[in-house]
Amino acid sequence: MISFPALVGVLFLCFCLLQVVPADPAMIIAGPDAKAETIAAIRLELGLDRPIPVQFFEYILRVAKGDLGRSIISNKSVAEELAHTVGPTVELMIGGLLLAIPIGITLGTLAAVKRGSIVDRLIMAVSVAGVSMPIFFIGLLLIQYVGFKWDLLPFTGRTGPVWDGGLPSLILPCLTLGAVLIGPIARLTRTAVLEVLGADFVRTARAKGLRESTVVMGHALRNALIPVVTLIGLQAAFLLGGAVVTETMFSWPGVGRLAVGAIISSDFPTAQGAIMILALAFLSINLIVDVLYVYLDPRMQRS
Amino acid sequence: MSGETLSGPVALDTSSELSRRAGLWRRLSRDKVAAGAAIIMTVVILAAIFAPIVSPFDPYFTDLTKVMQPPNEINWLGTDSTGRDILSRLIYGSRNTMMMGLVGVVFGGFLGGFLGIIAAFYRRLDGWIMRIVDVMLAFPAILIGLAVAAIAGAGITAVVIALVVATIPDVARVARGAAIGVMEQEFMEAGRALGVSDFTLIWRYLTLNCISTIFVFLTLRFGQIILIGSALSFLGMGAQPPTAELGMMAAQGRDFLFMAPHIATIPSLAIFVIVLSANLLGDAIRDVLDPRLQQ
Repeated sequence: MISFPALVGVLFLCFCLLQVVPADPAMIIAGPDAKAETIAAIRLELGLDRPIPVQFFEYILRVAKGDLGRSIISNKSVAEELAHTVGPTVELMIGGLLLAIPIGITLGTLAAVKRGSIVDRLIMAVSVAGVSMPIFFIGLLLIQYVGFKWDLLPFTGRTGPVWDGGLPSLILPCLTLGAVLIGPIARLTRTAVLEVLGADFVRTARAKGLRESTVVMGHALRNALIPVVTLIGLQAAFLLGGAVVTETMFSWPGVGRLAVGAIISSDFPTAQGAIMILALAFLSINLIVDVLYVYLDPRMQRS
Repeated sequence: MSGETLSGPVALDTSSELSRRAGLWRRLSRDKVAAGAAIIMTVVILAAIFAPIVSPFDPYFTDLTKVMQPPNEINWLGTDSTGRDILSRLIYGSRNTMMMGLVGVVFGGFLGGFLGIIAAFYRRLDGWIMRIVDVMLAFPAILIGLAVAAIAGAGITAVVIALVVATIPDVARVARGAAIGVMEQEFMEAGRALGVSDFTLIWRYLTLNCISTIFVFLTLRFGQIILIGSALSFLGMGAQPPTAELGMMAAQGRDFLFMAPHIATIPSLAIFVIVLSANLLGDAIRDVLDPRLQQ
């Protein structure tokens, strides 16, 4: 379990973000024409005069209480701004996964079962192309054709939650994010299914006279899913990075877009908070994958 | 000391090195897809190196009398929103994008390889080094890029740092795995028994025997690293205008997507072709040099 040291690492890096910025945080918060006393007061309030380890400890306590400071630009609480953006980001990620996982697993299984055939080669070619495609290229094409030329779906912003008429605005961002994940998932599923198809229990299942579809779906795929779940965990980095780009392209009001906007406008507290949330999201996805892994593979429970 | 008189790596005869190189040529001559990828990569690299000679126009020269022109016989790939020649910018842009990826992969590969090999050699450092590597893995490359850009300001440097940091942990793991395999070889024990210094053991016995595995892994990573770098540039964290860089060119073209789609599409397509060729070529190199990595 790497989660704990990684968690401390994430928090420490985010803490450092505010420490090593070229300017004094107190001066940034006080504004360009603040008096020396104001800056000193802010320094005292932020605890900037105390030793670094003490500051780090206090920072962790503050984060635990949900206090992430205030945005320099809007002067709103960063935690509050983040609270509005987490929902849309989670929505986008789940949508992307819901799209990519079934398609990727189906294509990968199909390629493995029809190994060496034209179908297999076609699927693998598409997946290599998918792995090589910059995510913004997919987004640009979707916006240009589906959104603009054919005028089928909205391509800027989010009209609301999925259950409240927001589905159309979610489709193009999800397609963009899902498209980059299909390739890797299909590739790994193919390898995993091929490996399992050669196993003894598959031969036994065939020898019992089970139908080929039962052998593939019930025996091979189920066992092949274990490495696939791990891979989807490894794709979490893709998913997160992809979400940041997708949100920026489609003006999707998520954490990634907030982070990019904050960095461009030098809003350090917001940038720090958003980066921290994204890193924590990444850790949580990995944790969920670990748990799923144990659930899918009972052998793991004993060890 | 007998080991000191050797110039090449221990226990790796040079004839196998030659046959591997021959194997790569044979593979390229048989595999049309890999050969195509190799040709494209060669053309792109040559164009990038000789950019000042091959680019038809100055990539930074703006001509407001011919903005957003579609591809035509003078400007083969058209012009952008300020009338700059897209083909010339594409050539210079590939140069910057490839350079970014190359620096990221080379420095990241060097640092990661060093960490992995040291971890395998000094077992008491292993736990610590791998723990640091695990923490580094907890940061997706895009996040590192965002964090570096937040601290140091957006720019090519920020992206390169992110790419280096993103390369280190994976390479460290691969290098460690390969090095542990070499550590179990008898010649390591023999070298120790002869009293060969740690430095020689690490460099000549260990590193030179792991280098092809690390190299193959890096060629496979190169495409991904370029994708991450161009995504960061697309987000505005990388090269700043007017510098020609493929990801940033795509981002700039996005504002004119409906009037002149070629401004954004052409650089995006260029990234796709470069990464696809890099991936296909990487696969071919892996099959020849290190088939064990295939899994």
